[in-house]
Amino acid sequence: MDQLTHLLEGFSVALTPINLLWLLIGAVLGTAVGVLPGLGSAMAVALLLPVTFSLDPTGAFIMFASIYFGGLFGDSTAGILLNTPGNSSAIATTFEGHRMAKDGRAAKALGTSAMGAFLGGMIATTLVVFFAPYLVKLATLFGPAEYFALAAFAFVAISSVVAESVLRGLLALAIGLALAMVGIDGPSGAARFTLGLPQLFDGISIIVITVGLLALGEVLHVASRIHRDGAVTRVSAGGSPFLNWSEFRKAFPAFLRGTSFGVPFGVIPVGGSEVPTFLAYGTEKKLAQRRKDPDFGGRGAIQGVAAPEAAGNATAGTAMGALLALGLPTSATAAMMIAAFQQYGMQPGPLLFERSADLVWPLLASLFVGLIILLIINLPFAAVWAKLLLVPKHYLYAGITLFAMLGVYAIASAEMDLWLVLGIGLLGFLMRRFSIPLAPVLIAAILGPLAETELRRSLAVSEGDLGILVGSPITITLYSLMAIAIGFTLFQALRRRGAKKREAVGATRS
Amino acid sequence: MTATSVTPTRPADASWWHGRGELVVAALVLGLGIFLGIGTATMEVPPGSGVPGPQFFPTIVSAGLGILGVLLAIQVIRNPEAEVGAGGSDDLGMDPDLLGELGDIDTTSEIRVVASATGDDVPRTGTDWKTFGFVLAGLVGFVLLLVPLGWILAGAVLFWVIARALGSKRPVFDIAIAILMSSAIQLAFSAGLGLTLPSGILSGVFSWLG
Repeated sequence: MDQLTHLLEGFSVALTPINLLWLLIGAVLGTAVGVLPGLGSAMAVALLLPVTFSLDPTGAFIMFASIYFGGLFGDSTAGILLNTPGNSSAIATTFEGHRMAKDGRAAKALGTSAMGAFLGGMIATTLVVFFAPYLVKLATLFGPAEYFALAAFAFVAISSVVAESVLRGLLALAIGLALAMVGIDGPSGAARFTLGLPQLFDGISIIVITVGLLALGEVLHVASRIHRDGAVTRVSAGGSPFLNWSEFRKAFPAFLRGTSFGVPFGVIPVGGSEVPTFLAYGTEKKLAQRRKDPDFGGRGAIQGVAAPEAAGNATAGTAMGALLALGLPTSATAAMMIAAFQQYGMQPGPLLFERSADLVWPLLASLFVGLIILLIINLPFAAVWAKLLLVPKHYLYAGITLFAMLGVYAIASAEMDLWLVLGIGLLGFLMRRFSIPLAPVLIAAILGPLAETELRRSLAVSEGDLGILVGSPITITLYSLMAIAIGFTLFQALRRRGAKKREAVGATRS
Repeated sequence: MTATSVTPTRPADASWWHGRGELVVAALVLGLGIFLGIGTATMEVPPGSGVPGPQFFPTIVSAGLGILGVLLAIQVIRNPEAEVGAGGSDDLGMDPDLLGELGDIDTTSEIRVVASATGDDVPRTGTDWKTFGFVLAGLVGFVLLLVPLGWILAGAVLFWVIARALGSKRPVFDIAIAILMSSAIQLAFSAGLGLTLPSGILSGVFSWLG
């Protein structure tokens, strides 16, 4: 049980007062950005990256990790109280959560979601601690061709398998790859697409890309819609958030069912927690129908909140494992965490556990401590956090803009970065306007350089023979998985198209 | 992101461009592909760069962008949509149909819960270019003014303009909030984290403060 020794050492670092302080700051920030609609943990990490350069990496990562989980604790608040899920990870919770709120059990729904997030995260993190060393062992078999296959797998999964339109997903992917190519090419020293501007020789900072797409893009999108959308009504969060025994007995199996959906999806790059949360919700709905539960879909059933919340955080937990051990980002937030590692000159992956063990184990330990802190500041005080929803939208977005500009300027005090972030913000606005997914851009911008380097390296080894790319059991497995995923997507699309056609024939009008 | 797949009807008098605004995106993508293609072809490659050199990957990406741009243009011309992307602000690119199937979602119970609150019954057509323009102008102004005016003043102007554009009704009160915000950031980040923000015309004030 090597892991336990390492983990205990990790706890001794994570529990120092200064690191506990970073954990607490991260938990508060994470919950806050989770509660506030339109903000996500990916954006929070991106904005904090430049201003935390002066910290030591362990402290910074401990803070990022608790922001990462904190965002998932807060995200259900807006959904339950306002019926407007702030993040897509909270949509599935909103259905039953808002029903409970309208029934006067808002505090209970918030409490259930905090407990679900806690349990899901805890179980998943425990699994990560015990399985990470095996993942690392597997990953030591990886050479350039295998790494390229892994990156290609992430690209295809994020851009095609879950995207609404494969064309738009691939488009986003290509844009991300293009952004990542700007600058001096490392291996050869050739300047690529810099227009001769020395400011572009270092490439476009990933912070500029993320802040532009997620923060400025969102602000511009809100600006184009804010006077068009209707007002929402808020339910107040009175009552006790704690579950009584009979409620807990109902919720507990749902927590476990949700977690079991969430755990596998953390290591599959399908864009984060949407798929498992919806799966968990669907299962609870079917179970409720079977036992003829009138609450589900009526007054709101506690299981309908418990399962998706647990699923969401379980996904985040195992995603952290995939991120650390394989260097594989499975969501936009995980991609930002990779960017954070790169900023500090580290590449997540199997070597990370060897080279930076003094960072990884405290980070894993701090995940446990962070979840406990998050439960303490969320379960009893959910109603207090809900007050954040009273901040007027115009101040909220003005503040976001100010912080976005500060974060970008803080990278290198360069005016060029500000113009770039404006341009990328406009791109983000256009992409939102036309439903082009944003996550593929981020994943491509972060994994693009890695994919290119590994591809060139493996082709240089094989002297141009493409066969090397499929020359090992690992690459063959990865490409077969990719082919199965694509086949499944095609099958689904064809089936749905068939169903739509039948509908269109059935309908007489138009 | 709601899981409804609304197919809005096209007004009879709509121009050809109605619902085909995405052609702008297709043109931009195509332009980007061409730009990268030219950049790749004219790239100065240092001698001895190895077999798959610095032009290898850009060639693939620029060709891909070109193909995707053309495909998008064809798709938009063939299937114009009345209001693409007018949905929620959190489109992360998940397929609503896929999620609907996974979650056993039906349009009669779940969707109504979420959709009514996001305002599907409110007129939500078209982009509000006026507000958008104000915000964009505020951002451009900020970048231009940052160095000459300094962070506190430029940041305050940015905050004020955006709050005003997004519907704040108290312009005078906002001035106070805006200056408070930008000053607080300047203090916290200059003093606390050692970031240097431009002080601009207020530099004299800072010399005796710090």
